[in-house]
Amino acid sequence: MLKRLRSLFRALKSRRDFEQGMTEELRFHIEQYTDDLVRSGVPSREAARRARIEFGSLNSVEEECREARGLRPVDELLRQLRHAARLLRKTPQFTAAALATLAVCIGANLTIFAAVDSVLLRPLPFPEAGRLVTIFNTYPKAGVDRDGSSIANYYERRGRIPAFSGVAIYRYGTAVLGEAGATERERIARVSPDFFSTLGTGPAMGRSFTDEETSPQTDKVAILTDACWRQHFHADPHVIGRQLRVDGIGNTVVGVLPPGFRFLSSEARVYFPFSSSPEDRGSAQRHSGGNSKHMIARLKPGATFEQAQAQIDAQNATLEAYDPMAKMLADAGFRSVVAPLHADHVQSIRSALLWTQAGAFALLLIGAVNLTNLLLIRASSRVKEIAVRQALGASRLHVIGEAIVETTLLTLAGGLLGLAAGAGGIRLLSAFGADRLPLGSHIAFDARLASIAVLGAMAMGLALAVPIAWFNLRGHVTGAIQSETRGGTTSRAAQSLRHGFIVAQIALATVLLSGAGLLGLSLERAMAVSPGFRPDHVLTAQISVPWNKYSSWPARLAFNDRLLKEISRQPGASAAGVVNNVPLSGNSGKSAATVKGHVRRPGESARGNYSYGVDGDYFAAMGFSLLEGRFLTADDSRRSSRVCVVDEDFARYYWPHGSALGQHLFAGGEATTDAQAFTVVGVVGAVKQAGLTDQAAQGAVYYPYALRTDDGLFLVVRTSLRPELLGPALQKLVRQIDPELPVNDLRSMDTRIADSLVAQRAPAMLAGIFSLIAVLLVAVGTYGVLSYAVVQRRREIGVRMALGARPDQIRSQFLALALRLLVAGEILGMAGAWLTGRAMRTLLFQVPPLHVATFAAAAAVIGVVSLVACLLPSRRAARISPMEAMADL
Amino acid sequence: MGKTAELLPGTLDMLILKAVSLEPLHGYGVLQRIQQISGDALEIPQGSLYPALYRLEHQELIAAEWGVSENNRRAKYYTLTGAGRRRLREETAGWNRLASAITAALNTTPGEV
Repeated sequence: MLKRLRSLFRALKSRRDFEQGMTEELRFHIEQYTDDLVRSGVPSREAARRARIEFGSLNSVEEECREARGLRPVDELLRQLRHAARLLRKTPQFTAAALATLAVCIGANLTIFAAVDSVLLRPLPFPEAGRLVTIFNTYPKAGVDRDGSSIANYYERRGRIPAFSGVAIYRYGTAVLGEAGATERERIARVSPDFFSTLGTGPAMGRSFTDEETSPQTDKVAILTDACWRQHFHADPHVIGRQLRVDGIGNTVVGVLPPGFRFLSSEARVYFPFSSSPEDRGSAQRHSGGNSKHMIARLKPGATFEQAQAQIDAQNATLEAYDPMAKMLADAGFRSVVAPLHADHVQSIRSALLWTQAGAFALLLIGAVNLTNLLLIRASSRVKEIAVRQALGASRLHVIGEAIVETTLLTLAGGLLGLAAGAGGIRLLSAFGADRLPLGSHIAFDARLASIAVLGAMAMGLALAVPIAWFNLRGHVTGAIQSETRGGTTSRAAQSLRHGFIVAQIALATVLLSGAGLLGLSLERAMAVSPGFRPDHVLTAQISVPWNKYSSWPARLAFNDRLLKEISRQPGASAAGVVNNVPLSGNSGKSAATVKGHVRRPGESARGNYSYGVDGDYFAAMGFSLLEGRFLTADDSRRSSRVCVVDEDFARYYWPHGSALGQHLFAGGEATTDAQAFTVVGVVGAVKQAGLTDQAAQGAVYYPYALRTDDGLFLVVRTSLRPELLGPALQKLVRQIDPELPVNDLRSMDTRIADSLVAQRAPAMLAGIFSLIAVLLVAVGTYGVLSYAVVQRRREIGVRMALGARPDQIRSQFLALALRLLVAGEILGMAGAWLTGRAMRTLLFQVPPLHVATFAAAAAVIGVVSLVACLLPSRRAARISPMEAMADL
Repeated sequence: MGKTAELLPGTLDMLILKAVSLEPLHGYGVLQRIQQISGDALEIPQGSLYPALYRLEHQELIAAEWGVSENNRRAKYYTLTGAGRRRLREETAGWNRLASAITAALNTTPGEV
């Protein structure tokens, strides 16, 4: 086999040499023979004649020789390719339309597939990544569905769960790297010593962290990512042991990660040990996971998720037996859930992505149907030629081969254009914010995608060839020759096929448009939701204040004070405040609060509420509404008064009939001493916490900044100017207070809200784009088929007009045909749209799956577009002059 | 020219291999050599010679090289390759087995049955 391929390849490579050699060799033979004949006494003319006759037909010998070298199929393919290319060049309009359709449809599918592939299909970049899991705590009855894992969980589990070969805990953060004056704020992660071994990918240079490095006194070591090593150490090969200043303190570099190391969507550039104190590891802190600490583990070979889950459950049960909070935990429905790491990480966008892919695929189907119709029309104009060729002996196989070569040539060319379109599309995706989605920044255009595109294009070429080959082979040869000359009508089957395709196209486009409408409406309704505060004219920024420099709450509050004072002097600034976390940031944490005097009903658990620490005029700056009492002030923070403000949801839950003012509550799941109680001094309006589409009214408590032990710091400034304008001034101001503190995540609150909807916006926008293209394709498709019908029936129309039919009768006949197809398509489309709406219910927000107005609008758009597309051909039909049409006979 | 026999299907390849195993030959030479070594008993259709040569070359049983003919013209000379030599051995053995079996069968007399 290999030998033959080699020989074929040689023959192909020097094709001209091969032909010349063959001609020369055969001529040599005939001449030698002639000479021999002459020598034996035959007259030279007669000798030449006899030599040629005995040799046989030179042409067929040459052909047999070529075949013997395996060149025949190649020759045939090249010939057909040239033929197909010539035909395509002869109809530039058709070719351009077909290529554009293919490029857009294939490009759209590639773009979305690139996202599906990188986010959902490709395994995480670790060995045997399918065995990586995450474990989180859930307290569903307390309103806390997900609460990370605690340090205590980690120390209790590691080495004690037989199904795991490794357990690790991590949290993300930021740190200021570099010497004073040349500092840079970088994202970092703090990880337990077994983090890298659990992932299966460790430092390429140096070592991982050790257990000795997990106390606050010994944790001044760092592992760099490849990028950080190149940037901060100029890829120094002797970097191990060198110092890296982190938040102003020297850290020893102990390792460098391999290039391309990336944990989930993390942007961390440096890894530090996750240090903790003995208290943190104690059982009292078992349920203080919060949203910031996360656990991963690796299943041992052969171990299953179920085994791991059962072992975790069993351990939890054992530990709970000695837990003073056991009853509360049981009431809260506490469990620890083991979930596959990859699936869990991308779960929030999985269905939106798949639905977008479905939309792109629908677009591809519409394009393919459109193309099939155009190809069929084109084939009908060549029906006579093909019939004649078949009559002259072209085999069925040859006709099929020709169709395949033609469609595949077209789809491959379209596929190449589609590749270019896809590369552009991926850029568009990131413009829509796709790189902020989980694993979104992994989306890339690569060889794998390109080969899938080429294979897909070839498959599409084969699929498109089926109806064309069928059309070309159908019926009797003589019938075909006659029908196109005199009979005046083509086979009904071909016509029904074309019409069926139009109906399918209209139906698909209606489904796509309705789906896009539902998504768009959901997005619009989500955007119309009031966040509960006034987000306009608010600038927010994050500043991380390192503990080693600001090591006490008074020092931290003094920093806040100075910052707020300076800010309020800025022109335009009307109110400024500090909060540990702004709403809609996507990581608002919940913690328990216990109301004094509240008797829990049987089965009612402690509730997790959103809880915040605020300083300055936070409420005024963010534009909260005050319902009762007063806001917290900077003074409350300064004096660390044990007062708090609750929101209306909280107040309604605990004091449905009375006032919340003057009531007392405790931070945490238990009532403690009165000295620890907070007095409610105000009730504010509820705001959307996790996202605009939040349904649950979970309630929120706002404490004075220093009393909520979360050191996050967001600055919130209300300004009369455009918020972005204040940005540079704010950065300068912070630098003046402390040059080591960079400001980051500087965004207006409006932008934050818009960004929080990226998972809804991107699919809606893409669906909108797909629908627009689909509508265009429907217009082109309907126009093409109707125009062809008119051309085809010219003679019939001519005869009828000659017999007295009026132009408007002719026109309405064609419009009626169009209308029939339209109605059939839209009825099917509506049914499809309803089913689709039901299936994608989870993506919809405040929109029922059967939204009549959306469906009607979609149907109307498709209807108007396809009727307009019919008007032109119908009018042309009505203008056919009887004389001309009959003269064509 | 004496009495000639029709070529059995499949035997042309064998004869070509045999002919070029004796010395490098051009196509016309192959034809002459086969006629010569068969004592002019075999009739080779001239047109079928070249497809057979090309097929054998494609299978790399023979190799071709341009050279100069006895009357100083450019001609393509075929030689046997290693694979060709093996094939010729196999085919010769096979043919001999077949021929002796058929001869034995045809020489059977009634008494031997």
